[in-house]
Amino acid sequence: MPQSCLHRVTENRALGGGSFVLRVAGPFEGVRAGQFCMLQSAELWLFLLPRPFSWFDVFEPGDTALRSDEATGAATFLGKVVGPGTARLAALEVGDELHVTGPLGRAWPSVEEGGPEPICIAGGVGLAPFLLWAKEGRAARKPVSLLYGGASAQALPAAGDFAATGADFHYATLDGSRGHRGSVLDLYRDLVGRGLLDGAAPVYCCGPDPMMEAVAAECRERGLRCVVSLETYMACGYGVCNGCTVEVRSAGRFAGRRYVKSCIEGPVFDSEELLWHASTAHG
Amino acid sequence: MTRKALVVRLPFGLVLDTPVLSASGCYGAGLEGAAFGDLAALGALVTKTVTPRPRAGNPPPRIYETPCGMLNSIGLENPGVEAFLANDLQRALQQSRPLILNVGGESLEEYEAIVERVQGCGAVALEINLSCPNVQGGALPFSTDPAACELVVRRCRERSTLPFFVKLSPNVSTSLLLEVAAAAEAAGADGLTLINTLLGRAIDWRRRKPRLALGSGGLSGPAIKPVAIHCIASVRAKTRLPILGVGGAASAEDICEFLAAGADAVQVGTAQFRDPLAAVRLVQEVEDLLVGAETSASELTASTRAR
Ligand SMILES: Cc1cc2nc3c(=O)[nH]c(=O)nc-3n(C[C@H](O)[C@H](O)[C@H](O)COP(=O)(O)OP(=O)(O)OC[C@H]3O[C@@H](n4cnc5c(N)ncnc54)[C@H](O)[C@@H]3O)c2cc1C
Ligand SMILES: Cc1cc2nc3c(=O)[nH]c(=O)nc-3n(C[C@H](O)[C@H](O)[C@H](O)COP(=O)(O)O)c2cc1C
Ligand code: FES
Repeated sequence: MPQSCLHRVTENRALGGGSFVLRVAGPFEGVRAGQFCMLQSAELWLFLLPRPFSWFDVFEPGDTALRSDEATGAATFLGKVVGPGTARLAALEVGDELHVTGPLGRAWPSVEEGGPEPICIAGGVGLAPFLLWAKEGRAARKPVSLLYGGASAQALPAAGDFAATGADFHYATLDGSRGHRGSVLDLYRDLVGRGLLDGAAPVYCCGPDPMMEAVAAECRERGLRCVVSLETYMACGYGVCNGCTVEVRSAGRFAGRRYVKSCIEGPVFDSEELLWHASTAHG
Repeated sequence: MTRKALVVRLPFGLVLDTPVLSASGCYGAGLEGAAFGDLAALGALVTKTVTPRPRAGNPPPRIYETPCGMLNSIGLENPGVEAFLANDLQRALQQSRPLILNVGGESLEEYEAIVERVQGCGAVALEINLSCPNVQGGALPFSTDPAACELVVRRCRERSTLPFFVKLSPNVSTSLLLEVAAAAEAAGADGLTLINTLLGRAIDWRRRKPRLALGSGGLSGPAIKPVAIHCIASVRAKTRLPILGVGGAASAEDICEFLAAGADAVQVGTAQFRDPLAAVRLVQEVEDLLVGAETSASELTASTRAR
């Protein structure tokens, strides 16, 4: 059952470049990789809508990574300051309260039986929904391959949090300050071209809209399944405001539909389900 | 358990356990919120507007946050009355909270048709939305022109044995609002709902484009609370009809303020986006406030009627 309640902040780690990892105590049950929650700092005096955030990491009771003030469990969120809501989250201090509503939305689809392991492509804080996925991969399958891109090394926070997952990281930066010089898409083409990545594997992607759109176009050309996690503007996150709709192709699970709620039917979509120009109009 | 400080008895026989309701378009029909906890404390659930035909709604982006509020341009997205009755109504009624069914249309004929279609559906009352700002060629004239309002309300009255509230727009002068409210009362409305959203617009000046795909939208949230209080108090001074107050209520203090303005009960809209249990949690807080002040919801409302 999803929850909507207050949790205490146990850590807020600044990562430079406006990025941060916020950590809160409490039981968080049933979270699956790719799902999100709505976050909101507890003070009422200045009314702001809650902000959608992917679950970065979730620790169950008994996990050795828990601290003494996290007896019932803990969760982390990877954020980047882009406006007032994220600035407020970045400024939270240990002991402050945070309202968390979730888990919400659709998770990454599970790997097809006997099919190839998906290749994960992340841009900036689009890395967030891949940590739980990598953890699941570690437990059930094999280490995931992660292509991680941004403008510069500073725009690539938190890869260290993946250490225990054994994920196989490949970096791309536009200025060449870390890894491949260029976009993650260039990096993908390069690695597939050199036979270092499975060119038949589906692609799971999360990052800025233009990046996801470019990756989706590449996958279409190659005849690959591409699954994306959209960052739609949201008010409620649980399906009651009808504000987060994206335009879809009227086919498959969306036959007869034009708009669907990203918070309920997404944020994870097969890229072929989306009408890109319309769905990313806010970007 | 009835809580004495909270119970609201409306003249046409409807009894609400508490004056805290959910607002139309901000809580579906309660099904989504029920996933987070028990809604039994709510006074009533008001559904999103249901129209005779399905409506896909407006293109995105449909929402934009503004200081202490938000703009929306949803465009009355809904599956249409037939799909609603077939798929959603039974589950909504099973929530065991009184259901107030909000209905709308684009023409006189559509209002007649939908009011007729939903008779006997199990709702305790209807709320007739005459005031959505987000439908082109839509219902607005009914809420801004007393003669048009009187006509549509009269036609609805002739077709409805269910009691109904008429939901009005604040996008008029106070004197016109009073005329429209009087027209609704004269035509047989059982109550009024005040207010729907205020027209507003935000612009991304760097791109020289409005933030919402269709340009303007409806402003809601705490930013509009003083407007709602003004409208309610102004109309209350002229009528004894029950008033459902709505517009920016987010705290127990706010609910009591609406009651003291003359509302009989208060709907919580945008605040439900912050927390699926926002309205449910307010019920207890409102009771504590009222008991602490040695008063009750009905006493607060009545204090304005006496004037
Ligand atoms: C399902 C989902 C998961 C997300 N996960 C994360 C996460 O793990 N970490 C993280 O840092 N961010 C995440 N986001 C994005 C995050 O919610 C926004 O950055 C945040 O809401 C911005 O709020 P703000 O008040 O700081 O900025 P605002 O003032 O609201 O916006 C600043 C700028 O960002 C744009 N913007 C605002 N919201 C969004 C959005 N949702 N998508 C795209 N652009 C937007 C605005 O148009 C504006 O240009 C996620 C979004 C969604 C929908
Ligand atoms: C996203 C959204 C959708 C709405 N949809 C409807 C609707 O379908 N019918 C209706 O009568 N009012 C609708 N409203 C108006 C609300 O019911 C309410 O009158 C208004 O938002 C002011 O209250 P608030 O500030 O508490 O939200 C909607 C409001 C919002 C924010
Ligand atoms: S964010 Fe409100 S319906 Fe999706």
